[in-house]
Amino acid sequence: MSAGPGPADPARPASEDSDSVPGPEVAPESSQNRTSAASAGGRQHRGVVERYVGAVTGRVGAESFVGKVLHKVFPSHFSFLWGELALYSFMVLLITGTYLTLFFEGSQQTLIYDGSYRPLRGVEVSAAYDSVLRISFDVKGGLLIRQMHHWAALVFVGAIALHMARIFFTGAFRRPRELNWVVGLILLLLALAAGFTGYSLPDDLLSGTGLRITQAIILAIPFVGERLTYLIFGGEWPGTDIIGRLYPVHILLIPGLIIVMLSVHLALVWRQKHTQFSGPGRSERNVIGLRVWPGFAIKSVGLLFVTAGVITAMGALFHVNAIWLYGPYSTAAATSYSQPDWYIGFLEGSLRLFPPWEIRAFGHTINNLVFSAMLIPGVIFAGLFLVPWIERRLSGDDRDHHVLDRPRDAPHRTAAGAAAITFVAVLFLGGSQDVIAGTLDVSIGHVTTVLQIAALVGPPVAYVIALRMCRTLAGRGGPDRTERAGGITRDPAGGYHSTFEGDVDDVEDELVAEEGEVAVETALVDSPGTGRTS
Amino acid sequence: MTGDGGGAGVNQRAYRTAVISFVVAIVGGITAAVGYWTDNTGDLLGLGLAAALVGIGVGLVCWEKFLDLDDHVVQQREPLRLTPQAERELEDEVRTSENVLGRRPLLVGLLGGSFLSMVIGFVGPIGSLGPKPRGERGRTSWSPGARLVTTSGEPIAAEGATYDQLVTVFPEGHIGVDDSQVVLLRMPPDVLTRRTLDGGALDGWVAYSKICSHAGCSVGLFGIDTRQPDTLRQLVCPCHQSIFDPADGARPTGGPAPRSLPQLALGVDDQGFLVAVADFDRPVGPLAWNET
Repeated sequence: MSAGPGPADPARPASEDSDSVPGPEVAPESSQNRTSAASAGGRQHRGVVERYVGAVTGRVGAESFVGKVLHKVFPSHFSFLWGELALYSFMVLLITGTYLTLFFEGSQQTLIYDGSYRPLRGVEVSAAYDSVLRISFDVKGGLLIRQMHHWAALVFVGAIALHMARIFFTGAFRRPRELNWVVGLILLLLALAAGFTGYSLPDDLLSGTGLRITQAIILAIPFVGERLTYLIFGGEWPGTDIIGRLYPVHILLIPGLIIVMLSVHLALVWRQKHTQFSGPGRSERNVIGLRVWPGFAIKSVGLLFVTAGVITAMGALFHVNAIWLYGPYSTAAATSYSQPDWYIGFLEGSLRLFPPWEIRAFGHTINNLVFSAMLIPGVIFAGLFLVPWIERRLSGDDRDHHVLDRPRDAPHRTAAGAAAITFVAVLFLGGSQDVIAGTLDVSIGHVTTVLQIAALVGPPVAYVIALRMCRTLAGRGGPDRTERAGGITRDPAGGYHSTFEGDVDDVEDELVAEEGEVAVETALVDSPGTGRTS
Repeated sequence: MTGDGGGAGVNQRAYRTAVISFVVAIVGGITAAVGYWTDNTGDLLGLGLAAALVGIGVGLVCWEKFLDLDDHVVQQREPLRLTPQAERELEDEVRTSENVLGRRPLLVGLLGGSFLSMVIGFVGPIGSLGPKPRGERGRTSWSPGARLVTTSGEPIAAEGATYDQLVTVFPEGHIGVDDSQVVLLRMPPDVLTRRTLDGGALDGWVAYSKICSHAGCSVGLFGIDTRQPDTLRQLVCPCHQSIFDPADGARPTGGPAPRSLPQLALGVDDQGFLVAVADFDRPVGPLAWNET
């Protein structure tokens, strides 16, 4: 217990005697802390928990599996939480979504609304729209669950984006994790698809307009576009099938695929072990952090509850997607200030900012949407998928990497990321160019022109600025202490030893002696930032 | 039960925070139940549940802090790359299975062929998802002599309407048919260009397909700017801010729309109501690959 503020304090656990946590079995190094009463009588009368633990370990193998699971080490850094945040908001989505399916009606059959929202009484609406109004006004607590579901979706994609940014800027996508980078991107695409299909289900004016644009984009696909729209929509727009078809896609197909890909994603993290930032004692050959049980697990479960709680508070406090204000979808209607959910904003912006180019020749048309809705997002995502291979080609570095770069340590990668984010951010702003123009009271055309120029000029400028910032920062020392160092080491025989601060240099020297190349690189990465190693 | 032997102040604070958090969680759960019972589902239910969840979460994290379980341990990574020997063995194994299976090229070929034919066999049911396009996109419900009617079914008298007002119209008997939606406008006849007159404007009346040539939204906004000496009239699509000039054949003047809106040629029937002279002469809305 070297690193804790109260080292090996025997008196502390007075309140824990009644705890049934199976501490002694799975956490031997802390047993002297928590024993007193428990171990004195513990061996003769095995408690309920011990018996259950025994029942499990006797079947799946104590040392080989359960032990490994509980002893798995996770490095801690706040930026490693984004992935967990995504996972937990997905859990909220599954639970709230299941509740909503009990009431939602995936049908475009029309009926006359006669629920308790007065302004729409007597209006002809689809069964889907009617059922969402029912959830919102007539199912007690239904609006809360619905808004939680929507907020959770917004948080889900946001957490994925932050998680991806963390992976990118720290170089965690490098060998041997290229495959998991690709799996993660597939998860992002699935999350976008889940968000879009869910957004479309209520059959309100905004989502119907979104579907209308989607139909136009599919129609524009060369060769197969027209046939494809007929297959998807069951004929000419709008047809009567699309809501009923999106429903199983949204609640079964996409979540199923997300669960499959998520399992692969986590299994790979488990197998390859987590990356870590460089620090005292850390190398390419080890991983230093909290063991799953008990520290990491308790904190992580805590995060699950906090995430769910914050999403619940958002659902309770902030209206989202108030479809009763938009009205039901109707042909020939559209409304200004129609923005999609935030994660589709870049695509909306691409559609709004792309110049009115279209190629018409020999009786055929390359539609404007081929450029703005296929080429631009295609380039963005192709670039993302190829990140590990592009970097390998440019750097010629094919070694395994388990120690993360700080963004400043890889200035060109960081600058490229800044440029890409700038481009997507300009597109995102473009998706709301009418709101910007309205707020600033300037012409929409001028805002569009400025953003078009920004989309071209912004990325290179961001690249140069980020590069200079990295170079400046690289020469500057970091904070003395970013996370808790040292702690307990386990030797090959299974014993545990304290690692005192004094050991740090020895550990490093040993690694240099043992694995010249890798350890030297670690030391190089290390020295400018953490003042402690020099 | 007080944890008084905790020693360090951090632990004491963590312990107290955990106690408070769990109490908040309990109160939150009860509040939620009361909220549901008393029909306060907007605030009490949601905030109570939120307090219960956040309370449990913060309580757990503080409990962990109190127990001071943040001990960092070192775990060695297992090498992920194979040793040269293991790699050779794996390659041998692959080669052996290749030899075993590849020894019968006929079977390999037939297996491939049967997979292919199976896939082809499944194309049929996929085709049932929607009918084959049979040129529906080339025509709309407009026909020679069809009256223009509003969404409530009223025909439009050619005389006596005010200028510069936008009306959405459909062919009589086909209200709400998507591809037949039309914006009808009356402007002072002298502002209309030659091409607008040739396209079928009538006494200041102009009618254009309401489906944006960019991405298919309804071009529902009509703006008029009289501040300048030349009054500026614009049709605007609210989705992506494409702008069309209604006085000049709905030519695109801004935004991403690449083509003008198809114009509907207008006439007057013997009762003085506006009618269509013919269907549009080209597809409405965004174009598919094989349309121009």
